[in-house]
Amino acid sequence: MDIFNGLMLGLSTATTLPNFAYCFFGVLLGTAVGVLPGLGPIATISMLLPFTFGLPVDTALIMLAGIFYGSQYGGSTTAILMNLPGEASSVVTTLDGHEMAKQGKAGRALAAAAIGSFFAGTVGTMFIAVAAPLLAGLALTFGPAEYFSLIMLGLVTSMVLTSGSLLTAFGMALLGMLFGMVGTDINSGLARYTFGSPNLLDGLDFVVIATGVFGLGDVLANLQNEHARTTGIAPVSRLFPTREDWRRMAAPILRGTGVGVVLGILPGAGVLLASFSAYALEKKISRTPEAFGKGAIEGVAAPEAANNAAAQTCFIPMLTLGLPGTATMALMIGALVVQGVQPGPEMLTQQPALFWGLVVSMWIGNLLLLLLNLPLVGMWAKLISVPYRYLFPLICVFTAIGVYSINNNVFDVYLMALFGVLGFFFRKVGAEPAPLILALILGPMAEEYLRRTLLISHGDATVFFTSPVSLGILVATVLLLLSILSPNFRKVREEGLQEAD
Amino acid sequence: MINRRELIVLGGTAAVLASAGLGRAANWPTKSVTLISAYPPGGTSDIIARLVADLLTAKFGQQFVVENVAGAAGALAGGKLARSAPDGYTIMVSGSAPIAANKVVQKNLAYDPQVDFTPITVVAESCALLSASANAPAKTLQELIAYAKANPGKVNIGNPGAGTKGHICAAMIGMQAGVELNHIPYKGSPPLLADLLGGHIDFALDAPSNYLPHIKDGKIHGVAVTTAERVAQVPDVKTVAEQGLDGFNQALWFGAVGPKDLPAEITDSIHMAIKEWADTPAAKEKLASLGLAAVVNTPEEMKGSIQREIDGIKPLVDAGLVQPN
Repeated sequence: MDIFNGLMLGLSTATTLPNFAYCFFGVLLGTAVGVLPGLGPIATISMLLPFTFGLPVDTALIMLAGIFYGSQYGGSTTAILMNLPGEASSVVTTLDGHEMAKQGKAGRALAAAAIGSFFAGTVGTMFIAVAAPLLAGLALTFGPAEYFSLIMLGLVTSMVLTSGSLLTAFGMALLGMLFGMVGTDINSGLARYTFGSPNLLDGLDFVVIATGVFGLGDVLANLQNEHARTTGIAPVSRLFPTREDWRRMAAPILRGTGVGVVLGILPGAGVLLASFSAYALEKKISRTPEAFGKGAIEGVAAPEAANNAAAQTCFIPMLTLGLPGTATMALMIGALVVQGVQPGPEMLTQQPALFWGLVVSMWIGNLLLLLLNLPLVGMWAKLISVPYRYLFPLICVFTAIGVYSINNNVFDVYLMALFGVLGFFFRKVGAEPAPLILALILGPMAEEYLRRTLLISHGDATVFFTSPVSLGILVATVLLLLSILSPNFRKVREEGLQEAD
Repeated sequence: MINRRELIVLGGTAAVLASAGLGRAANWPTKSVTLISAYPPGGTSDIIARLVADLLTAKFGQQFVVENVAGAAGALAGGKLARSAPDGYTIMVSGSAPIAANKVVQKNLAYDPQVDFTPITVVAESCALLSASANAPAKTLQELIAYAKANPGKVNIGNPGAGTKGHICAAMIGMQAGVELNHIPYKGSPPLLADLLGGHIDFALDAPSNYLPHIKDGKIHGVAVTTAERVAQVPDVKTVAEQGLDGFNQALWFGAVGPKDLPAEITDSIHMAIKEWADTPAAKEKLASLGLAAVVNTPEEMKGSIQREIDGIKPLVDAGLVQPN
C-alpha cells in the first residue's frame, strides 16, 4: 500500500464518529493530565487501560495515543504560567517560559509552545507515515541477536540520559531487571523469586508497578510541596506572537523538530531527552546564549517542538519492531495485545486500517490540541488551581480501580501501594525511576533474545559481533557509555540535567 | 470433636453453599468471563481462542474477554487457570501442550492437567507443518535428514514453545530418522515466523495457519505435513510418511478447558455452544481457511484425547529425546 492510499484509508478510519470522539477525549484528557503536576500520561494510561478492553482496537489506540501526545501540550502551560513542570518533559520549558511570563509575555510563550508543538507534531506524523513502512521492511533483518543489541542500546540510553549519577541510574536499571525476573521462566517453566506465592508466578505486572511508581509516587511527592504550588499563576495577555517572535522562533522550531524526530526513534531516549537536547542545542548555537534562562522565546519553542516530535516518532519502534522504547509504548503494546494485535513488522500489512488510522488521528489530534490549548488556555489555568485535597484522593481511587481491574486481584493493589512508597523513596534519594521501569520491561525481553541467540548459535557468542546490524548497534552503545567518561559530555549532561531538575 | 449441633450447622452451610453454587450455574454468566489464551496474539491457538470467545459472547450475551498469558509453552496460562475459581468466569482455550503434554514434558509444572482441569471439548484439529526458510540447506525432508546426518547437531528447528506439538513432532522425526536435531523454543508462532522469514532460523515446525500465505508467496518452503493425508491448502507439500518415515501420523488439537470442579451445567452449556457453532458452514469455512478442521467431541471424550496425547509423548521422554525441564 503506498502512502497516498494509506493516508486515505487512515482518514476514513480516523474520521468515523467514535474514533474522532475518542481522539478528542484522549487529547482533552491528555492536556488535563499534562497541565496537572503530579499526574502524568503513564499513570493515566495505566488507569484507563482496562477500560479500553471493550473498545475496538483502533479506537482504543487512538485514544491512548491522544493522552500521551496531548500531555506534551498541557505540560507547557503549567511550566510557563507557574514555573512547575506539569509534565516531566516540560521541565526545560520552565526556564525561559516562566521568565517570559514574569515579563508579561505569558501569552506569547504559550503560543510559541503550542505552535512549535503543532508544527513538530505534523512533521513527526508525516515521518511515521514515510518511515514506518520502510523500517517494517527492514524489520525482518532483525533476528534475536539484533534485537538483543537494540535492547542493550535502549537500556544504556535510558541510564545515560536520566538525571542524577550514572551509578544510581545503573543500579536502578539492575533493580528493574531483577524485578523483571520475578515469575515463571519462559523457557523452562521454573518459578523464580516467587517465594512460594502464587501471586508472583505470573511476574510483576508492569502496569501495576508503573501506576505505583508514577501515579501514587507522584502524589506522595507532591504532598510535600503542596503549600508552594498556588503561589501564583501568571496572567495571560496577548496570545499572538509578534512578527519579531515569528522570526526568532522559526529556525528553533525546525531544529527542535529534527532533534525530536531522531531522538524519538531511539529506544530508551523518550521525550525528556529530546526536549533538553533541543534546548542545549539552541543555547549552543545562539549568538546570544546569555539571553537563555532570561526569557528567550527560542528556549520555549525548540524544546516544546522537540518533545512533541519525539512523542510521535517514539511510536515507530513499537509499531515496526514490536519493541517498546519507553514505558508508555509498553502500555500501548499491552492495549494492542489484549485485543489480539501483536505489534511488529506484520502489523502494517495485516492491520493497515489500524496503523494508518493511528497516523491520521495523530495529525487530527494535534490540530485539536492547537485549538484546545491556545484559545482555551484560561480554562486550563483554572484547572491548575484545583485543590489537591480533591484531586489526590481521586487519583488514589482511580489508580486502585484501574490496577484492580487488570487482573481482578487485590494483591495487585497492595503491590501498587508498595511501589508507590518505593517511588516516593526513589524521588527522595534522587534516583530517577525511568531506567527501572524500562529495565522491568526490556530485561525479560533481553533475556529471551539472549538465550535464543545462544541456542541457535550453539553457545557461540561471537554472533553478536559478526552480524553487521548487531555490531553497529553495540558499537553505538559502547560509544554512548564511553561518552559519559569524556569530561566535555559529562559537563553538558550535568548542566542539561541539572536544569531539568 | 464435632458435636451434633455443629454438624447440623455445617450441613446447613454446605447446603446453602451448594444451592448458591447451583444458583450461580443456572444464571451463568451474569458478568464478563475471562478466556485465557495460552499463546501470544496472532498464533493459531490464539486465533481459535478468539473465535471461541466471539461465539460464546454472541451466544450468552456477556463479554468473553481474551487474556493472553504467554510463556513456558502454555504452562503459565495453565497455572493461572488451575489457580482460578471454578465459577465459570475463567476458562482456557489452547493447543494441547498446557492441557496434556506439559504434564510429561515439564518437570516443574505447577499443576496436573488431568487433575486440576475440567475438560470441556476439543474444538479443532490440524496438521503440524515443517517449513524451511528461503536459504535453508534443505527443501525436502530427505534433504534435511541427509544434511543432519552430515552435520550432526547443526540443524536448528524452531518450535512455538518447549513441549508444544511442533517440538514433539520434531523430536519424533529425529527419533524415527535417527538424526540429532536442535530444538529452539519461541514464545508462540509470530516471532518464530518472523525469524524464519528473516532467515535467522532455517526450519520451523508449527501449526500451519500463519505459514500458509508465505508458502503461497514463495517466501518460505513447505517441507512436510505431519498428518497421514496431505493438506488441501498446500497440496504440493508431501507428508512426513510419504518422505520415508513410514506410518508417521500426528495431528495437533486445540481445546477448551475449565478449572477443576467446574459445574457440569456450565461445562455442558459451553460445550453445546461450541458444537452448535462448529456445525455452521461459516465456522467450517473459517477453520478450513486456517488449515484447520472443526473436530468437536464431548467433555468425556476429551479426557481420552488428553490421555492419548500423554501416552504418545511418554516414550520420547523415556528415550531422552524430549528432555523434561
